[in-house]
Amino acid sequence: MHAYLIQRLVGVLVTVVFVAITIFLMVRTLPGDPARVIAGVLASEQDVDRIRVQLGLDEPLWRQGLIFMGNLVQGDLGTSARTSNSVTSEIAERFSATLYLALVSTVLAVAIGVPLGALAAAKAGKPLDLFVSTVVLFGISMPVYWLGLMLIILFSIRLRWLPAAGAEGPLSIILPAVTLAFFSLAFVARITRSTMLEVLHQEYVRTAVAKGLRQRVVLWRHALRNALAPVVTVVGLQFGELLGGAILTETVFAWPGLGRLLVDSIFARDYPTIQGLVIVFALLFALVNLIVDLLYAVIDPRVSYG
Amino acid sequence: MRVVFIKGVVSFLAVLLSFGVAQETFRIAIGVDADTLDPVQGTTTTVDNIVDYMAQTLIGIDESGGLVPLLATEWETAEDGLSMNITLRDGVTFHDGTELTSEVVAWNIERLIDPNVRVPRRGAYTAIEGVEIVDDLHLRILLSEPAPYLAGALTQTTAALISPDSVEAQGNSYENVTRPVGTGPYVFESRSFGERIVVNRFDDYWGELPYYEQVIFQIVPEATTRESLILSGQVDMIILPPASDIPALQANPAVEVVMGPSDRTIFIVINTTDPALDDPRVRQALNYAVDKQAIVDGILFGAATVMDAPMAESIFGYEPIGTYEYDPERARELLAEAGVEEGSLTLDFMSPTGRYVQDFPASQAIASYLDDVGINAQVRTMDWPTYIGTMTQPVEQNETQLHLLGWAPAFLDASQQMQQFHSSQHPPAGLATSFYHNAEVDRLIDEANAEVDPERRQELYAQASRIIWDEAPWIFLWVQSFPMVHSADVTNISGLPNEKFYAIYARPAE
Repeated sequence: MHAYLIQRLVGVLVTVVFVAITIFLMVRTLPGDPARVIAGVLASEQDVDRIRVQLGLDEPLWRQGLIFMGNLVQGDLGTSARTSNSVTSEIAERFSATLYLALVSTVLAVAIGVPLGALAAAKAGKPLDLFVSTVVLFGISMPVYWLGLMLIILFSIRLRWLPAAGAEGPLSIILPAVTLAFFSLAFVARITRSTMLEVLHQEYVRTAVAKGLRQRVVLWRHALRNALAPVVTVVGLQFGELLGGAILTETVFAWPGLGRLLVDSIFARDYPTIQGLVIVFALLFALVNLIVDLLYAVIDPRVSYG
Repeated sequence: MRVVFIKGVVSFLAVLLSFGVAQETFRIAIGVDADTLDPVQGTTTTVDNIVDYMAQTLIGIDESGGLVPLLATEWETAEDGLSMNITLRDGVTFHDGTELTSEVVAWNIERLIDPNVRVPRRGAYTAIEGVEIVDDLHLRILLSEPAPYLAGALTQTTAALISPDSVEAQGNSYENVTRPVGTGPYVFESRSFGERIVVNRFDDYWGELPYYEQVIFQIVPEATTRESLILSGQVDMIILPPASDIPALQANPAVEVVMGPSDRTIFIVINTTDPALDDPRVRQALNYAVDKQAIVDGILFGAATVMDAPMAESIFGYEPIGTYEYDPERARELLAEAGVEEGSLTLDFMSPTGRYVQDFPASQAIASYLDDVGINAQVRTMDWPTYIGTMTQPVEQNETQLHLLGWAPAFLDASQQMQQFHSSQHPPAGLATSFYHNAEVDRLIDEANAEVDPERRQELYAQASRIIWDEAPWIFLWVQSFPMVHSADVTNISGLPNEKFYAIYARPAE
């Protein structure tokens, strides 16, 4: 188990280094002079040159790369071109907001999606199944942006129950989390339904039923547990996406997370921040994947890492 | 039963939450986060606006764009134009207790021109050579050449004063101030990135104390979301609602829409070096062909006024010249005179999307007006950095023909607007992307920029404006308004003509 963990952690490290090198080279091949962008269109040549030296852009590429990797090892992602603050601290500042949003959305998606999917499988072909399929279709095809606005209009403007946007007080998480959860919820429900259907047709389930166990026990205790492994994968992947890709939700609800930081940085051509965010996202994805694989062993006794 | 219970709990929580908020707080939703709170480093008006709550300039502007005393009570340019005498207001203290003295001002001006500090808008201050201290409340700014626009330049937030000691305190550095300590009516309290900036009332403020104890600037990039916030009563004021909702907001008794004046002119730059467009008659025809008022009413929902000079009315040096009234017949005549056969002219027309109020829809409408007089204009759009990159190519590589642009002078002086028509400002040196060149106009602008006598200066700019208007290097469109919406429960909110909102003295309506 330990050997496996170490091996996987090395894998994570290699991935991040690979991503770091790629993004470093990509940013440098983008058209446009970053020093000019930072200085502003009206700046003098001297100002531009000074910024170029400050950013180390006057050094040869290989040296810039070495310096960049050296700083990266020490957890230093450079200085934001837009705000003159350290990229590490800007990302850290926004990280908790995104993590909070992703966690609450995932919990919502699992808490609603799994039972919904399981029920649909148990009642396959019945009205309840049809209802779940409709919700799923709705959830997968509805634009986040539109759903968010509809929720705001209903719960904030009409009913005045919930804050429309911002991140103040415990209630402000509800609308963005529900909006964001909707898509994952639909996904989770769909996967749960199909794996459950598979499991329900297996011998041991029929045996359990034949033994005279109540349907509820069979469904929730025996079948669901075995159907969960693929669901965990999906939830893990979704969680990774939520962490990195909650851009629209964060914009609609003015949620101060990483997605919006990425959008702001792209608009300002703030290369150091874009670079830092991509590396952080890569790290998050790799770690989430690792955790998902480790969870397999917990859920499914047939899986073990030796 | 259960539903009723849940409803009850939710509304109870909501009530609880609303009590938690101090009654004396004023909330403003803005669209962009501050990239910096250091006055000298600012580049956007919105951020300047926030900094203005905390740090003040020597000279201010009033609602018509005129200069008014702020931290300076008097200023006077010497007859040779090479120095400016300034008298400071007595009894002003910074938030950290530092007194406003000539020395403090000198330190600030030296920081403003210090090449080691990043100052994106330094261009307006390059004539400053140094400062001479006369006594505690009198100083003299020394200039290397006459700069009659300097008083105007000193109204920019870039020139706002901070306490010299504060740059070494609380995370500030000389090169990068993150907590501005100024003389303003509000003191920096806190900020969280992407979320909000909070300022508290400064009770030792030298002037009239504002009503609200605290002001919170909430960062909300999406215009529709800002609108939801004001409609749900979560904030007291927003800037820039979605343009298409302005009529509905105007009809809503719960809110008031303020159409702030602005100095931002919106125009279509015509590449005057393009063989198809180098004849002024063709360019005049383009101006006559477009019904600007109809577009302002129908597409901008009234959030603009049609231009009648190459600059906005609030700018010093403005003089109304006339209008290119909508006259497609005249446009066809001019095109015929210039030897352009109907249907033979195809123009490439670039337009940004989302940069200015209704920019892309307006461009599409303009293209259809051009089509009416037999000009085929193909509208295309691209992301903003690429857009800037394409239009600022040097003339020999520049293939643009028409592109829509907005221009808000850094401060309300024709010297700033006229950069657009001076041949020294052609890309890559500047942003005069029409490549317009007229030796007489260059001479008039140069002379006006150095003229100390305001009346003569005004006349020189007016002369240049008349020539420019006639030679039409732009399709002159409109001066954009700066819409703001505030709750009907508050009052005393207005706009300044440099796209700033003025809500420092907001208070509950009677």
